[in-house]
Amino acid sequence: MATNARTGAATTRATVRERLRRVTDPELDESIVDLEYVDEIRLLGSRVHVTFTLPTAWCSPAFAWMMATDARDEVETLEGVTRCTVRLREHMHDDEITAGVNRRSTFGTVFPDADGGVDEIRATLDAKSRLARQYDAIDALREAGLTDDQIRTLTAADLTLDDETATVTLAEGAFCVAVDHDPIAAYRQRADVTGLLGDDHPELFRNPDGDPIAADRFDLVYHRSRLANVNMTGQGSVCDALNEARHAPGRPPLSR
Amino acid sequence: MYEQDGEEIFVIDSHLHYWDASEENITHEGGEQFIQCFYDYHTGFTPEERQWSLEEYRKYEEERMLNDLFGNAAVDMGIFQPTYLKEFYEDGFNTIEDNASITEQYPERFVLNGRFDPREGLSGMRELERQNEEHDLQGVKLYTAEWHEGSKGWRLDSDDAFDFLELCVDLGIENIHPHKGPTIRPLNRDAFDVNDVDDAATSFPELNFVVEHLGLPRLDDFCWIAAQEPNVYGGLAVAAPMAQNRPRKFGEIMGELLFWMDEDHVLFGSDYALWNPDWLVETVMNAELTQEQRDEYGVELTTDVMKKVMGENAAELYDIDIEAKKEAFASDDVTEEFGLEAHYEETGAAAD
Repeated sequence: MATNARTGAATTRATVRERLRRVTDPELDESIVDLEYVDEIRLLGSRVHVTFTLPTAWCSPAFAWMMATDARDEVETLEGVTRCTVRLREHMHDDEITAGVNRRSTFGTVFPDADGGVDEIRATLDAKSRLARQYDAIDALREAGLTDDQIRTLTAADLTLDDETATVTLAEGAFCVAVDHDPIAAYRQRADVTGLLGDDHPELFRNPDGDPIAADRFDLVYHRSRLANVNMTGQGSVCDALNEARHAPGRPPLSR
Repeated sequence: MYEQDGEEIFVIDSHLHYWDASEENITHEGGEQFIQCFYDYHTGFTPEERQWSLEEYRKYEEERMLNDLFGNAAVDMGIFQPTYLKEFYEDGFNTIEDNASITEQYPERFVLNGRFDPREGLSGMRELERQNEEHDLQGVKLYTAEWHEGSKGWRLDSDDAFDFLELCVDLGIENIHPHKGPTIRPLNRDAFDVNDVDDAATSFPELNFVVEHLGLPRLDDFCWIAAQEPNVYGGLAVAAPMAQNRPRKFGEIMGELLFWMDEDHVLFGSDYALWNPDWLVETVMNAELTQEQRDEYGVELTTDVMKKVMGENAAELYDIDIEAKKEAFASDDVTEEFGLEAHYEETGAAAD
């Protein structure tokens, strides 16, 4: 346990680990903790050092960069942590990414040859993960007995979320329905990140472009949400198999 | 010929390579990274007892390839798809001439595809004409992530690419196979973006676009394009071996493909030597959707569906008369070499 001399706040490896759950592999939309990318967390006073490895050495440098900067920034939101440094291991650009992220450089400075910036890639993948999460959220609402039309027109204001429960209010407040918390909370978080909760439309669920869903398009949008979900989890299977292959006994070492 | 429940399945493996990644042929570190990346995919999705060593994997002999295709009658015909990568490999990785060294010996068993790269301009056009003249092409494989004089890739919807697609129309080359798959080290990930296929397919309705590897990891973009463009097809290479160690995922992917497209637009390919058809064909043929997946997608992998995916759809695109082929294969060189007479004789008897 580390204690910040100034604030007295206590940080443990467990709290750092818990905070790192918020960081996702942007291509898979799964937490880097659940994916077991995090190798080591070290505490040095109010400083934290996180070491991580990705499934393949040629994972997109932009994705590696996003995970490294997100890990650093999330850990630094913990009270009692003054600075977080990261180290990426066994990647084709491990040294550049480690040094660049710890020096707080930009992706463009470290990788001048890359086409397009990290922000653009992140926005595309966030939009895809919102759509993928929408699939599970709609299923949860159907499970709770809502009709497709009620789901389609549900607004952010109709939804009440706390840490463990989720309820929706229907028929202008006439009644409340409890729904499965996790898929709804996960969806709402992404809807927020992608800027849909603050735009001109009150509807919670949207088509892939971010507009409200027309009545005759609900099935199509639901199926496209399923497709986004299958794509993300399918890629997860590929990464997973590559990860196993890479760590199999007797595997020749990767050339550098 | 593969048989299941008394039914004969004529298998056309639509994605074959005959490559050389030997150390002598590698001229750039990218060449070494590329073959090692392939090898990770190979070991990641091959049953342990069927894995090759890295040394075997770098460069294989013709005999081994023929045996892997025909030895246990898994495959009846194959389509070669060249991959040049001349900036990594002195003589190229898998060129049309490499492939022709096999297809010329067994012309009835193989289709030989060509390739083009629009960044080669006029000389590239002349080269495509030469390939067509010499090999009478029906298709081309396109590698949009290939490096070329400082460029790390090209797009199918560029003006230059359209000039080459025009030339394909003029030459009667109807089948365009863009590689749109996972990132292969050290190639640029963005060069496999699948959205450029949309514009090309709309602009050239007379051509067929077989998107190799289904755009993975962009299956969502691929299916959405394919749902709207009747001349867009999906090549199963890379997805197919998931049937081995990720069967549920394979089922979901097949479910999505059949839901957004139909069974006439999906083509089997082993990606040899990434994976071996002598175990892969059987694995894919035995794949099943779960009850939940059948309900969700409203589709099933019936024998009729699989017959199309494994061969009939490729036969349609490449004007292959399956019945005539079965007759011819009863006594050709490959049948003689591998003792396959019984497979094709039975067919003859059943057809009479």
